[in-house]
Amino acid sequence: MSVVTLTIDGELVSGRRGETLLQVIREHGLALPTLCHLEGLSERGGCRLCIVEVEGSPRPMPACSTAAREGMVVRTATDRLIRYRRMIVELLFAERNHYCAVCVSAGNCELQTVAATLGVDHVRYEYLSPRLTMDLSHERFGIDHNRCILCTRCVRVCDEVEGVHTWDVSCRGVRSRVIADLNHPWGRSETCTSCGKCVQVCPTGALFTKGAAVGEMVKDAGMLTRVIEGRDKKGWQE
Amino acid sequence: MGRRGRIRFATVWLGGCSGCHMSFLDLDERLVELAGLADMVYGPFMDAKEFPRKVDVTLVEGAVTNRANLAMALMLRERSRIVVSLGDCAVTGNVTSLRNQLPVADVLATFLSCGEGSVPAMDYNAVPELLPRALPLHQVIAVDGFLPGCPPDPERIWTAIGCLLRGEPVHLESDMLTFG
Amino acid sequence: MSRTITIDPVTRIEGHATITIRLDDAGSVADARLHVTEFRGFEAFCVGRSIWEMPGITARICGICPISHSIASARAGDAILGVDIPPAAEQLRRIANLASLIQSHALSFFHLCAADLLLGMDHDPSRRSLWGLLESRPDVARRGIRLRQIGQQIVSNLAGERVHPSWAVPGGVREPLDAERRRKVVELLPEGIAIIRSAFELLDEIYGRHGAEVGTYGDFPSLFAGLVGEDGGLEHYDGMLRFTDSSGAVVEEVPPDHYDLAIGERSEPWSYMKFPFYRNHAGRDGGGMFRVGPLARLNLCERAGTPEADRELQTFRQLRGTGGVVTGSFHYHHARLIEILHALERIGELLDDPAILDRHVRSEAGVNRRHGVGFCEAPRGTLFHDYEVDDDGLILRLNLLIATGQNNLAMNRTILEVARSHIKGGKVSEGILNRIEHGIRAYDPCLSCATHVYGRMPFQVLLLAPDGTVVDEIAS
Repeated sequence: MSVVTLTIDGELVSGRRGETLLQVIREHGLALPTLCHLEGLSERGGCRLCIVEVEGSPRPMPACSTAAREGMVVRTATDRLIRYRRMIVELLFAERNHYCAVCVSAGNCELQTVAATLGVDHVRYEYLSPRLTMDLSHERFGIDHNRCILCTRCVRVCDEVEGVHTWDVSCRGVRSRVIADLNHPWGRSETCTSCGKCVQVCPTGALFTKGAAVGEMVKDAGMLTRVIEGRDKKGWQE
Repeated sequence: MGRRGRIRFATVWLGGCSGCHMSFLDLDERLVELAGLADMVYGPFMDAKEFPRKVDVTLVEGAVTNRANLAMALMLRERSRIVVSLGDCAVTGNVTSLRNQLPVADVLATFLSCGEGSVPAMDYNAVPELLPRALPLHQVIAVDGFLPGCPPDPERIWTAIGCLLRGEPVHLESDMLTFG
Repeated sequence: MSRTITIDPVTRIEGHATITIRLDDAGSVADARLHVTEFRGFEAFCVGRSIWEMPGITARICGICPISHSIASARAGDAILGVDIPPAAEQLRRIANLASLIQSHALSFFHLCAADLLLGMDHDPSRRSLWGLLESRPDVARRGIRLRQIGQQIVSNLAGERVHPSWAVPGGVREPLDAERRRKVVELLPEGIAIIRSAFELLDEIYGRHGAEVGTYGDFPSLFAGLVGEDGGLEHYDGMLRFTDSSGAVVEEVPPDHYDLAIGERSEPWSYMKFPFYRNHAGRDGGGMFRVGPLARLNLCERAGTPEADRELQTFRQLRGTGGVVTGSFHYHHARLIEILHALERIGELLDDPAILDRHVRSEAGVNRRHGVGFCEAPRGTLFHDYEVDDDGLILRLNLLIATGQNNLAMNRTILEVARSHIKGGKVSEGILNRIEHGIRAYDPCLSCATHVYGRMPFQVLLLAPDGTVVDEIAS
């Protein structure tokens, strides 16, 4: 296995060729916030929270979808990056209706935690307050578009792990919505297997188990790793 | 500064549920300590009718949701050295701003058309008119510190008050910063 | 020349309101109105939310009685699920509701009203508060703070948090009680009872100081409404919705989930608080006025059902006004103390039952009914949450009948009465205005609860000429 050597925050570190910057950074115990990234799913590079500065590149780059290369000089926590990350989180809060106080995932939400960790104590942007809906038509689960941050973990897990691709994203930009099948109520989806993987990987309270009250939705963080390991090791074959 | 150089301390309740003030009262016996350290000059548990001048620290609960809130916000800003948003409604708009998804006329319609006795419109000489949107305090006036939570628990409030009594900016560690 | 006096804002109440008093040409009081000045619109923006979130959302109607809202909301959810909740869950809800009543009543009596009651209506306004009380009567103030703390600690031992716990849910409650937390609650009760006993000793002083005025604080015949137990006992969670008149006779009893058969609502353009009325008396004098809350509950029950509270109830009933029951709104304060005592005793009884530790506290079900009404006695009176949902449990329509709102007609009548007895020849003073405000404080209105609250403008009492010009101004 070939090794690459690079500098991260002034420290000389090594990683395996083919690894992303995010993998190398986390292997060396450095914290880097992410929302759309999830171990076991393809990278989307959508949330932009894991941006880092790479010498020679004028723009910050998402660590999750940048390959670690020999001789790279990377910084993960410059003033500019911290400023941008806060800005990104604030924009997420401003775009939809994230009322942490009355959310099923309050206290167990990745967005809520990332915001506090980054020191976001208020949002400087105007809230858009779009009028969005909740869909409880599924027998076991619900989706509240108010709390969706379009990380597409649900879309990817459904496609890549469950192999069904019930979920996808319709429209573009601020009008984007996660939809089931060809925009049917979730309960009328012909493809959904009701496996619940999308619910467990959702970082916020957008996807939840029906009947969950405020603060009651605790996601199973280890679910995806268990499923993938089980599949790879053929752990479920007789 | 107030008597014997003590801090002049005020709390204000705008568009919210008073839960933040209840959490403030949940300081329990520390209220006695606070009364020994600061002059309480204005708040919902007091009889001062006019927001006083030369206030050192003002904690504000609630979003700015009507014209009276707006007038109060402007006045307290002018008369306070330090203004701190107390709790999620002041910080983010929170539940008070859930109405922002609807046109204000639709929100008011549930009241105007109530039961048997509906009225065509409110009399804005008697009650303040709703603003088109309920706004976080810092979108209306400059705010010097933020104390998120619904409500912020007494430990958060006490930590923030500690900073303010020492003349420092409000600083909370990340475990005390979560919304909700 | 007629003129209008404005009290803006009414202070030391929970929420924001103004009072206007219209004087006629002779300087006598022609009319008085309580204007609730804020509106938050829960009945509009909760449409589309799920019944499972409603206890959490509606708790934010009010930070003072979030427990009562979450319980009424969860009960509307119970009805929609069509389940009987486990017995332990029901008893735990009862305890939390009573604990919430303790802290709320303690807040009203000690934090908000004791300054008037013990320091006097004409006391220096800048010291007429809990903070002033801490200086001049520190023993009373500290006991009040402790009593409220005891109520809050009982709540947090059951529900996890003091304000806005997410605990009562459709189908029951989220957490059973364990032996350790039961022990903690039980240990709080004797101190609470000792404090409330000492508060009863303050009543002599209070009646002595205000004796001449007691009759002017809204002493009039009216209906009283509230829950009553099957045995006619004081009840805060279930039973029937009873209406009695000021002779003590039962006028009507309806199942609480059919409250709308008995109670109608209307709006006025000058206040954001609705005016509920008793339908059958809508055409009579008073327009269907009824009173709710501690005074009403003690008037319409046959007994408190706990030993010490029953003894105090006997003393209370000596205060009878014109009819067979206690009609003076000043006595709300006294009634609050009796209810605190009852709550402490009752919580002890409920905790004595070993079944309270049952681990089964939640019934699971889907949506089985499209309509559900939840109710309970909130500290200020009977509270109703009325939801209509779609097949998935999303709210299509909701009506919240808030305790304080039901006292709206009576509060307006009370300030008119206080104003008439104190304002003569157009002369007003700060002390008189404070008495009028106290007429409101006696009801302990929770205007944030009325879902429609506030306004805080600089204080001015303006005496206005009919053309709107200011003829006189009083500042505090």
